[in-house]
Amino acid sequence: MGMTPALDLDEVGVAYGAAPALENIDGTVAPGEAVALIGPNGAGKSTLIKAILGLVPLASGRITVLGSAPAGARRHVAYVPQADTLDPEFPISVGQVVLMGRYRRIGWLRRPGAADRQAARQALEQVGLADRARHRFGTLSGGQRQRVLLARAIAAEPRLLLLDEPFNGVDAVSEQALLAAIAALKEGGAAVVVSTHDLALAHLACEEVCLLNRRQYGFGPTQTTLTPERLRATYGGHALELRGDRVIVAHS
Amino acid sequence: MYQTFIEPFTFPFMARALAELIMLGALAGTVGVLILLRRLAFMTDALTHTVFPGVVIGYLLTGEGGIFWGALAAGGLTAVLLTLLTRNRAVTEDTALAVLLTTFFAIGVVLVSRESGYTTDLTAFLFGRILTVTAQQLTQTLVVTLLVVAALVILRRPLTARAFDPQGAQAAGYRIGLLDLITNAIVALVVVASVRAVGTVLVIALLIVPAAAARAVSDRLTVIVPVAALLGALGGWAGLAISYDASLHHGLRLASGGTVVLVLVGLYLGALAAAAAGRRLRTVRRTA
Ligand SMILES: Nc1ncnc2c1ncn2[C@@H]1O[C@H](COP(=O)(O)OP(=O)(O)OP(=O)(O)O)[C@@H](O)[C@H]1O
Ligand SMILES: [Mg+2]
Repeated sequence: MGMTPALDLDEVGVAYGAAPALENIDGTVAPGEAVALIGPNGAGKSTLIKAILGLVPLASGRITVLGSAPAGARRHVAYVPQADTLDPEFPISVGQVVLMGRYRRIGWLRRPGAADRQAARQALEQVGLADRARHRFGTLSGGQRQRVLLARAIAAEPRLLLLDEPFNGVDAVSEQALLAAIAALKEGGAAVVVSTHDLALAHLACEEVCLLNRRQYGFGPTQTTLTPERLRATYGGHALELRGDRVIVAHS
Repeated sequence: MYQTFIEPFTFPFMARALAELIMLGALAGTVGVLILLRRLAFMTDALTHTVFPGVVIGYLLTGEGGIFWGALAAGGLTAVLLTLLTRNRAVTEDTALAVLLTTFFAIGVVLVSRESGYTTDLTAFLFGRILTVTAQQLTQTLVVTLLVVAALVILRRPLTARAFDPQGAQAAGYRIGLLDLITNAIVALVVVASVRAVGTVLVIALLIVPAAAARAVSDRLTVIVPVAALLGALGGWAGLAISYDASLHHGLRLASGGTVVLVLVGLYLGALAAAAAGRRLRTVRRTA
């Protein structure tokens, strides 16, 4: 291949204090490809995303982002948090939220330039919310807010995009808009890491999946890795049903 | 009007009091917006209490002039302690604050109670002495104002990003711990600068009320910040003038600090009414 991977996980382990949260996670993601992180609650999906952002220290192994250490690659990495963790009363417009994606480029004192405004406008168009730029962020619906946060990430022109469960509580329209925007980013050569409980999304948008529940239960092409047997192993002792595209965990 | 709102300030001591209150009102109004965005009202309240023993110790050591430095030391110490304590997730913010607050305040009260003029001193510390503001105090307030405004202008983007979305800001490479320390230090500095003039109890009103009023009338930070500064200054001016007028012409001895707070609360209620009226007007226009 020869091409530097966008993300290289090398026997990654993370611990909170003495308790291990992740052990031996190993795999790579190429530019223009997406990987779905799939596992039950508490499996360590968010932890892995934070490790890729360089926000939690590694207990073992190594993470390489675009050829350098995570902390050194932040300029090219964008993160989309869950919209419902943000304060809906915050006095900020949709346009300003998207412009935040440009803050690191704009710097501290300079005013946003024409290129910054253009990037923000285009990003908002891509998620189908161009007409909402002047509305207050908190007045939008949950799914729309999630799209605004994706627009903010797009405006940053990332080469690696990290999304933590972006489809929770999102309706079909917003889901389509999110998927289209993610596809456009991938076409532009960005790699994507997305944690999700939605197997349909993994099939639709991701070339690869990483099955994890503290340790790794599979990391590879979606078609061959996302099998019922492996899912059952990942979700552990729970009785597991695969109903359509959803994982249904029946608690005993 | 002229008699109430302009004339008193031809006396030098009243002019100094006015200058001090206008500066502090504008400063506290501006910083109040940061407190509002970060939901730090409780921490601010705690700071006003922890600064108290610093005020007392400074006074005991070197008299009036020591108050600022004593308060500064206590405020700085609190800002650092709070940042460290709240970084450790095991200690929730509330617990950390409650422990600090009670300890510091108790030390202050114990120290004052050892003095002879216990109640007069205590009143002065708690409610301030705006009418005895000196030129040196004015200079200190001016320096603090310039420092804080410069910090806010330079850090406006990181501070906004951190307040809106801490995880996203951290992911973008902003140093949250440092930003929080700076925020706590700014709040502490404003409390310290205000404490001699308006007292530890009334500082909190200057910091909370103008920003809340400004937030009620607008959704845009570019409007909220100047409106909060303006309301803070206006409250200081009107409160001082009214308390002076009441004492002089109506035989009513109104404490100036308290009057300032009442005027601010009046402005806040006015802002709420204006916001409600604005909403109704927009609804009527839309349905018409
Ligand atoms: N800050 C922290 N301190 C201590 N333990 C933590 C911390 N964050 C997460 N953990 C633990 O690490 C494990 C993995 O958590 P994580 O949030 O990564 O799971 P997740 O896969 O994202 O779960 P979910 O599907 O519920 O979002 C859990 O057992 C959790 O309790
Ligand atoms: Mg999670």
